[in-house]
Amino acid sequence: MLMDANQPITDQVQQMLIDQVKNGDQLAYKALYDMHKAKVYGLCLRLIADEGHAQDATQEVFVQVWHKIAQFDGRSQFSTWLHSVASNIAISYVRKQKHWLNTVISFEQSGMDEQSANDCNGLNGLDKLIVRLPERARMVFVLYAVEGYRHEEIATLLGMAVGSSKAQYHRARQLLKQWYENE
Amino acid sequence: MSKTNFDDYLNESLTQLNKNITPDKELWDGIERAIMTNKQASTVKSVVWPKLTAITACCVAALVSTMVFFTSPETNTAVAMSDFFTKQKQSLLVQYQSQAALTDNWQVQLQELEDAEQAIKQTLENEPQNKALLSMLAQVYQQQLDLINKVHAPRWQQI
Repeated sequence: MLMDANQPITDQVQQMLIDQVKNGDQLAYKALYDMHKAKVYGLCLRLIADEGHAQDATQEVFVQVWHKIAQFDGRSQFSTWLHSVASNIAISYVRKQKHWLNTVISFEQSGMDEQSANDCNGLNGLDKLIVRLPERARMVFVLYAVEGYRHEEIATLLGMAVGSSKAQYHRARQLLKQWYENE
Repeated sequence: MSKTNFDDYLNESLTQLNKNITPDKELWDGIERAIMTNKQASTVKSVVWPKLTAITACCVAALVSTMVFFTSPETNTAVAMSDFFTKQKQSLLVQYQSQAALTDNWQVQLQELEDAEQAIKQTLENEPQNKALLSMLAQVYQQQLDLINKVHAPRWQQI
């Protein structure tokens, strides 16, 4: 099916595509991918703060969604469901990277959690500052301020206390303010 | 000119922030490859049993032919063949026992073939080395195995 990217895609068309994907139609899945890839990649890039890893995570999201799409029952919006899958994968991707780094070098000493911005050259404005944030502060800020999650939801997603989520958000804001004022 | 207040800057930036970021690299090829690899693996899984069954059936047919045409006259070919096919049939019935059959009347069809088998065996008692009868017996056995496979195999393919 040919999709016009400039036209708003109705829920019915999307549902039709989803039904076709459930029957194993790869062309329909490519259309769904084209519709949502920028949103998924945007989320992954802001959470992971590394272009290469964000691309890998985006691919992993769409591979997993292909396998899990039978589980999508239509009770929520597809974009909401996809967003939830993407958030979980991106967060676990960050954890896997951190675990790997920890097994090789001392992560805290490496300074790598604040130098990721170097790998996100295409970003500007606030995004450029967001990807400079330390990992936990960045993930909380992105989920809370950009994606609109509540601290309770973030705490569950990231496996931290609600208070920690609020503290990390405060930390992120302070750092952003500092960087903005010193620019 | 003074710099905008941070809170205003942040609010404005968040409001204007485009959540969509297009990746520099085309990612679909990798996704498609991953999907295809998995699809092929599951296809192999779903066709392997019917194929194995078919191969087994072919081997059985070849063995029967060998037994019919190359066994020595002293050997009771019908008995040897019967033992061989009975084991094959039992093995298949055990394999498919927990699986629903495609048709309801397959056991009636199987019974008809078993009746034919008995009739040929009775005739063979008088002419144990009659190659035409032995060949017919082999065919009836083969039809029984084919029937059992045919009514059960499509379920395997759906997995």
